[in-house]
Amino acid sequence: MLTIKGHAAQLRFPSPFPWFSLPRCVMTGLTRGVVISTVMAPHRIALLFNANKVYDRQVIAGIGHYLNSTRVEWDLFMEEDFRSRMRDIHQFRGDGVIADFDDPEAPDMLSDLHIPVVAVGGSYHDPANYPTDVPYIATDNARLIRLAYDHLIEQGLTRFAFYGLPPHPTSRWAHEREHAFRAIVDEESVEGLVYQGSPTSAGGWGQAVEELVTWLAELPKPIGIVAVTDARARQLLQACVMGGIAVPEQIAIVGIDNDPMAQLLTRIPLTSVIQGAEEMGRTAAHLLHQMLRGMDCAGTRVLVPPVGINVQASSKFHPIRSPHVMRASHYIRQYGCLGIKTEQVADYVGVSRTVLEEHFKRELKQTVHQVILTHKLDTACDLIANSDVSLADIALRCGFTSLQYMYAVFRREYDCTPRQYLDLHRKTAAT
Amino acid sequence: MPVFNATAWGQLPDGRPLHRWTLRNASDAQIDITDLGSTLLGWQSPDRQGRLGEVLLGHATAQQYLDSNAYMGAIVGRWANRIRGGRFRLDGIDYKVDRNDGGNHLHGGQYGFHLQRWDVEADGESLVMRLVSPEGDGGFPGEVRVELRCRFDDDGTLDLQYEATSDAPTPLSLTAHPYFNLNDRRPDIRDHVIRIDADEFLAIDAGAIPVGRQHVAGTAFDFRDAAPIGSRLHWPDPQLRLVGGFDHCYIPRGPTGSAMRTVAVVSEPSSGRRLTVETDRPGLQFYSGQKLTGQPSRDPEPYGPFAGFALEAQAFPDQVNSPESEGAILRPGVTWRQHTRYKVDTA
Repeated sequence: MLTIKGHAAQLRFPSPFPWFSLPRCVMTGLTRGVVISTVMAPHRIALLFNANKVYDRQVIAGIGHYLNSTRVEWDLFMEEDFRSRMRDIHQFRGDGVIADFDDPEAPDMLSDLHIPVVAVGGSYHDPANYPTDVPYIATDNARLIRLAYDHLIEQGLTRFAFYGLPPHPTSRWAHEREHAFRAIVDEESVEGLVYQGSPTSAGGWGQAVEELVTWLAELPKPIGIVAVTDARARQLLQACVMGGIAVPEQIAIVGIDNDPMAQLLTRIPLTSVIQGAEEMGRTAAHLLHQMLRGMDCAGTRVLVPPVGINVQASSKFHPIRSPHVMRASHYIRQYGCLGIKTEQVADYVGVSRTVLEEHFKRELKQTVHQVILTHKLDTACDLIANSDVSLADIALRCGFTSLQYMYAVFRREYDCTPRQYLDLHRKTAAT
Repeated sequence: MPVFNATAWGQLPDGRPLHRWTLRNASDAQIDITDLGSTLLGWQSPDRQGRLGEVLLGHATAQQYLDSNAYMGAIVGRWANRIRGGRFRLDGIDYKVDRNDGGNHLHGGQYGFHLQRWDVEADGESLVMRLVSPEGDGGFPGEVRVELRCRFDDDGTLDLQYEATSDAPTPLSLTAHPYFNLNDRRPDIRDHVIRIDADEFLAIDAGAIPVGRQHVAGTAFDFRDAAPIGSRLHWPDPQLRLVGGFDHCYIPRGPTGSAMRTVAVVSEPSSGRRLTVETDRPGLQFYSGQKLTGQPSRDPEPYGPFAGFALEAQAFPDQVNSPESEGAILRPGVTWRQHTRYKVDTA
């Protein structure tokens, strides 16, 4: 039987906090085919996250999914800017808290709250680093790095590096990822270099980029780099462009977070590990739900592994022997949709058209023009399937001189029209 | 066009020879199947890079299959899953069948379909497996004739179509029992991400016999949104503690009996492989492989816990002792049919 304690008094509490509240609804439980319905007052729950990053937002989305699926009614408290201010939490007159324990202040701030607390954060290689008195839901840092590393191994790479963050109390998770990377390369006796770089600050940015370009230039190549986040991976991609280093032929890159923002800001699509953040949110909500029903979950620790890897061009490493083809491919990946022709590619590489064509024929069994066209078509197919951009705009964005020309190329290469391709592949509710 | 290629593969204790057939599709994926229990011995499937790798658990020798109690890759019958106390009443007659699982009947009993030698022949694009189960087999009434058509399509689908007839009323529930691990480089399925399209599952007692339907909402059993198997095992759920993990029958959405519907999708992030299960059966048993410890593998090292998982399309466990028992009875003059597809591709 489901029994939920009522909290009617709390509904009248004049709260100084901004609220958003799920609609009041009937709690329905199904046990052995028996439907039990009971109208009850909602529990008041604080979510303490700095939800300016995609990871935190996914955790919160997971909490929302759990509530929607169960019809459990919680009054959720979050600051309007979705940033947590733990110092105020003692004024909170509620029933439970789900909090980001990557925030180094959280354990102390929340230690003397007399309501259930569920912690969310990163995993630690040393069990002593976990808080002991609260249930802890972690993204499994070791498995995130393992997935990124295994992916680079699968691409045929034999040298690896890690681009992390300088030590800071708020980024212990980054240090755990670095530790996981070091542990893997030690265990497998392969070459593994680590660069923590500089903190990201407007003032020191110019110098930080120069140092990053220098580090990249000096790396043995080809090499695969695991970046601690997509934000860091984006810096790598940018530095590779500045340093004229071909991605992925010389440096293959994998980030973590699968952050759409990072994708938008990079010209070479970024491969990225997808964290199980929504599942972390569902798990945290479930544990708090159980605690509100009286269960003791203090010792519960759940490590959530990654749920996927979004494989894009930044890690699709194919050993290419000709440096001309490597340089040309890099140029085509960046500017292929801007209407470039074989001459411009040859100019960039610094060889004659004839020489470049010979190298392409030998390495790729294709002409330069064919490779440019394939790049345009791939980009167009991706936009058709995964965006809601109109076909006319897609034609322009992909460097086709007109929509009619794109139709002609689709007809010739795929034996269908872009419209037919769209009808087959475009996902409903395009993003 | 599939390629069938039969080779000798061990023998039964009475000396009768066993065989292994190989089915290959256009992408060079390959399935090996034997006449012993119509058992799927192996399935080589390409990963994200196009590299072939093994996605099924398996033993090394025919003798290990004969000695094992894991039903690895086999077709199980006459009754897939459990019957409480090995007893049921049919048309006013009480029957006692083999009790081989702590006082309950499991998977056709001691000498179920998984240990029988099936007759196999190639027929067009399919491999056809036939078995006659005599009156009294495992304690069940009636002579049952089963025909299973296996086809391996170019898109990576293994299509299994069953037909059965009986000369007397008998309970019947058949299922394929492959254990999958979509990552051939890691003998642990806990990082696999599973989606099961079911709003309800059957809660069980300590003997793994269903005691009632339970909604999945708010429980560790809710896989309507895909989630990693391993982290769910740590949810504080008494149903998980009863059997050390998942070994429960889900009730997938949608009509049963004739219409095929997708009931589960499992993906493995590292290899990029994905398994899709479609069936017309009412039940889908999800077993997370927690008791595979010590089962012989193809290598000298035996399997450990969670080495593989099983998704078995079938009738409900102990359905013969439920108000829905008639749905699990095959009567003379009727042809019983079931259709299940396992598809392995890359996401």
